[in-house]
Amino acid sequence: MSVSVNEFLKGLPCHDSSNFSHVSHEHGIRTSQKRASIYLPTEDVPSEQLIVMDKRCVLLRYLTQQWDKKTLQRKREHGNESSNNTNSTPNGNNSKKRPRLENNELN
Amino acid sequence: MSHHYVVTAQKPTAVVACLTGNFTSPTDLNLIIARNNQVEIDLVTPEGLRPLKEININGAIAVMRHFRPPDSNKDLLFILTRRYNVMILECRMVGDSITVITKANGNVSDPVGIPSEGGVIAAIDPKARVIGMCLYQGLFTIIPMDKDASELKATNLRMDELTVYDVEFLHGCLNPTVIVIHMDNDGRHVKSHEINLRDKEFMKIAWKQDNVETEATMLIPVPSPIGGVVVIGRESIVYHDGSNYHAVAPLTFRQSTINCYARVDSKGQRYLLGNMDGQLYMLFLGTSETSKGTMSVKDIKVEQLGEISIPECITYLDNGFLYIGSRHGDSQLVRLSSDAIDGSYVIPVENFTNLAPILDIAVVDLDRQGQGQIITCSGSFKDGSLRIIRIGIGIQEHACIDLPGIKGMWSLKVGMDESPYENTLVLAFVGHTRILTLSGEEVEETEIPGFASDSQTFLCANVEYDQIVQVTAESVRLVKSSTKLLVAEWQPEGDRSIGVVSCNGTQIVVASARDIFYIVIEDGNLVEKSRKTLAYEVACLDITPLDEQENKSDLVAVGLWTDISAVILSLPDLEAIYTEKLSGEIIPRSILMTTFEGIHYLLCALGDGSMFYFILDKTSGQLTDKKKVTLGTQPTTLRTFRSFATTNVFACSDRPTVIYSSNHKLVFSNVNLKEVNHMCSLNAQAYPDSLALATKSSVILGTIDEIQKLHIRTVPLGEGPRRIAYQEASQTFAVSTMRIDVHGRGGAKPMRNSASTQAQNITCSSNILPKPGGGNPTAANAEVGQEVDVHNLLVIDQNTFEVLHAHQFVPPETISSLMSAKLGDDPNTYYVVATSLVFPDEPEPKVGRIIIFHYHDNKLTQVAETKVDGTCYALVEFNGKVLAGIGSFVRLYEWTNEKELRMECNIQNMIAALYLKAKGDFILVGDLMRSITLLQHKQMEGIFVEIARDCEPKWMRAVEILDDDTFLGSETNGNLFVCQKDSAATTDEERQLLPELARFHLGDTVNVFRHGSLVMQNVGERTTPVNGCVLYGTCNGAIGIVTQIPQDFYDFLHGLEERLKKIIKSVGKIEHTYYRNFQIHTKVEPSEGFIDGDLIESFLDLTRDKMRDAVLGLELTLNGERKCADVEDVIKIVEDLTRMH
Repeated sequence: MSVSVNEFLKGLPCHDSSNFSHVSHEHGIRTSQKRASIYLPTEDVPSEQLIVMDKRCVLLRYLTQQWDKKTLQRKREHGNESSNNTNSTPNGNNSKKRPRLENNELN
Repeated sequence: MSHHYVVTAQKPTAVVACLTGNFTSPTDLNLIIARNNQVEIDLVTPEGLRPLKEININGAIAVMRHFRPPDSNKDLLFILTRRYNVMILECRMVGDSITVITKANGNVSDPVGIPSEGGVIAAIDPKARVIGMCLYQGLFTIIPMDKDASELKATNLRMDELTVYDVEFLHGCLNPTVIVIHMDNDGRHVKSHEINLRDKEFMKIAWKQDNVETEATMLIPVPSPIGGVVVIGRESIVYHDGSNYHAVAPLTFRQSTINCYARVDSKGQRYLLGNMDGQLYMLFLGTSETSKGTMSVKDIKVEQLGEISIPECITYLDNGFLYIGSRHGDSQLVRLSSDAIDGSYVIPVENFTNLAPILDIAVVDLDRQGQGQIITCSGSFKDGSLRIIRIGIGIQEHACIDLPGIKGMWSLKVGMDESPYENTLVLAFVGHTRILTLSGEEVEETEIPGFASDSQTFLCANVEYDQIVQVTAESVRLVKSSTKLLVAEWQPEGDRSIGVVSCNGTQIVVASARDIFYIVIEDGNLVEKSRKTLAYEVACLDITPLDEQENKSDLVAVGLWTDISAVILSLPDLEAIYTEKLSGEIIPRSILMTTFEGIHYLLCALGDGSMFYFILDKTSGQLTDKKKVTLGTQPTTLRTFRSFATTNVFACSDRPTVIYSSNHKLVFSNVNLKEVNHMCSLNAQAYPDSLALATKSSVILGTIDEIQKLHIRTVPLGEGPRRIAYQEASQTFAVSTMRIDVHGRGGAKPMRNSASTQAQNITCSSNILPKPGGGNPTAANAEVGQEVDVHNLLVIDQNTFEVLHAHQFVPPETISSLMSAKLGDDPNTYYVVATSLVFPDEPEPKVGRIIIFHYHDNKLTQVAETKVDGTCYALVEFNGKVLAGIGSFVRLYEWTNEKELRMECNIQNMIAALYLKAKGDFILVGDLMRSITLLQHKQMEGIFVEIARDCEPKWMRAVEILDDDTFLGSETNGNLFVCQKDSAATTDEERQLLPELARFHLGDTVNVFRHGSLVMQNVGERTTPVNGCVLYGTCNGAIGIVTQIPQDFYDFLHGLEERLKKIIKSVGKIEHTYYRNFQIHTKVEPSEGFIDGDLIESFLDLTRDKMRDAVLGLELTLNGERKCADVEDVIKIVEDLTRMH
């Protein structure tokens, strides 16, 4: 077993061979409580990117996606017919809904 | 209204996550450590780990990962908090200082989502295209990374898998592909999902593997070119890449779960695995090249390397060094060695103290100084320990010489007067004097011909004209430094001998019984200028110049026998100009004139370890503002030394103390040494700015810390401590612990040696209660290899922390509570232990015992016991009786003359009475889920009455009584709240409520509150009006303080807090106000009634300019006068607050 462990531990990765080279092994285990100084930023650097949550519920998003797929298909199939439909169907509602959802996000 | 100040004395120490990468520069190798709400950035250097910065995050870190954007040569940090705040951080080095840039931030919470059962998980695509998170059941949240967009749109994807245990991204996939371990009714399965980032949906399942091991918990993605994933189970390891499948079930995997891993090489052949037993393994993927020229896994090997702390996370640093982050024990830096030492390939290099989880604390004032020491029950399982924590000034020991019996010690420059360094130590012993020369770090004994080395030296010093003075009982000797020869000698007439003496650069005062002599040092001559006979014998003397530039004093301070007084004499005629009677009968042993921050003081230490101090008028010698403190219990010697360019006084005694001044107030700070008999400052070439300290048996050369801080001593137990109680009568602690035994053929055996198996005396509980409803409680037919929890009551010596006695309970009897109490008229003090029988098939233990033990003459005897029908969660001594929270009851037991516990009264009004505190007749109960209730015991009627309760449901973790009307609680979401009894309410209904008046989000779960103080109470003066002090210990290993403050001070600090919130910018852009909001699930209320002391104290770390900004427009009341605060005022106040810890 020890032979294979030896094999395992051969050639461990080295980023910089000097790292840990001055760690003394003589004094046994050191115990450390030291902590670094606290970082206290006082300058406001605005975030480059804002992570925002898509607040639409999963089901609604799925339905809209399905609807979009269907209407695309229908558009291809029926050409002019669908243009009259869209204004009175839920798809029309959907385009009205969006601004309200974005308002919610701002809140 | 209720006002409080809460501050952390010991920051959290439990490590949640760690990782290695290039953060501060493309070439710097950094270790990043996450602890609760802090991130530490370390640099890997030849000397080891160097901490660079600690960053506060306004939120508890749930996940920390790193990634490298495709076009970058540095890594970025991704953090997800428990409140679902996300951030991407970048470190930039500008010169020597680090700036942390928040690249992106936001919140990904879902108001209606059900939190996922497997905990919060997050993973990042290896090509950094998307971050994926499992936050809610049935949803997979993705953040597509688009570096050009100003907005990153996070989206929830619907995921069929409801219970997810781990998620990772696979390497080498065209589209980002996640792999999950999930569970359904049939078992656990592994499944991959390809993500369509454009449509934000899962496209297809690339491959899946049903029914992997039933306990599979962890996934390790294997990097390209190998690819695929390693699935870690409880007993087996499986490699899978969709087509190729390998499995091993290593025998060395004992019955413990692998809970973390670290990839060793970038090709992904070697991995380190750590388990909950603290075993470290290496996993090796053997590969071969296929006919198509791709790499494929051929076999899996696993080998055990050795033992480490129970890991939470592991990361490979460099050159075979690993960092082990732990929640249950000390974190570690270890080295992997290819040669086994005692069968282990793991060599520990450094331990990083971790107190977590703090399950209980005892605050004891062992030295009766009004300063508490905290003893914590820290750590779990094999890493369990007691930690002794006290505040004080640290001595960094650089050398130690074994020399017993030192009676005095001085440092000198001999024959090198131009040098700034000293080279000689003079040590006085009974009947002789020894001289040590310091050459470099070496110390050798030498002689000074002009010295009388055959008698005890009373005083030794370098004086004017390159001369040295040595004073013995016989004479004052003047020695030329260059020739080391005697040039002058002064002796008292007749056969009189010198009793006490003091000198400075030019003057000596010598006392022999009632006579006092004033001698002036000249070049080669000692001239007696005057003498006087005082009313009583002189006990101590001082002639230290008050002005540091001067080497001549106009005053002599004298302490007298018999009338116990301090007298100020003027020079040169030794005229008494002021006499101050010290009260009491203890003679003064050491007197000292000193100047702190321009104010002159006279300090006078007595034989009993107490000390008087006065303000001294330099011209009139008048003493005013008399104050007394207790520093130790033995005669105290005062010596001055300079450190960090300020004057300090060292009080040598059984409790060495450093006295210094801050903001014109004297501060008394403990030194972390057991005992110092003598000391002198030492500025030698090899030991610059050092102190030489003589203890009973040795001389220590060392330097002194600039500020006082917490010092932590560890007493390892090798098993998990649960509860602690202190008993003064027997000078012991009782600690309940849990150890894990494993069933073998001959019954259960301990897995390893630990405190309870190595105690001086071991007894075993014989009385086993039967399981209600039959059955066999001893579980004799347990399988071989099955683990059992064995509970022990340890009795531990208060000084040596040796385990004097271990009393073992027979499983399944477990200790649920513990206290020390004096009961009824019985003169003995007892340990009261509550136990319960825990059976896995019962939702709640139904039977338990309350047992009374007496520890006396190194013997633990059971005095009485009573059976209880439920778990006794809490015990409190209540007016000589035992108050117990048993299941849903609160019960009072009285101690009869027959030494039996008899139930006196009983109230059932809880779900589970988990926590009890008592004050007078009042009892505060913390319930499992019904917040806090105040009960009163009516002694005459012998009943409990419910006075009031908080009607808002809260799952409690700890309670404390702040004062008669004010009650502090900690609940399970890391919130603190204060309820107050409204005695002035007009209706009964209102009186029955405990309105919540103050609330605060601490961000850590408090497990225990105890009254007590970390610093000496009633010593020195405070400018800040704080009232009472409650210490707390948390899950993450933090220790903190809650104290009450008056309204006007609260208003002032609140104003400062608001300003600091604006000035100190939050890393990750989580607002401080949002962070401190009191939040229980969906209920959010703003924090109020608490001042965040951590934020207030950060004022001291601001630059002067920013301090000015922070105090702008801030008003404060000083000496009854309202005025605009300036920076100095605020610094003083905040510094004073920091001295609470």
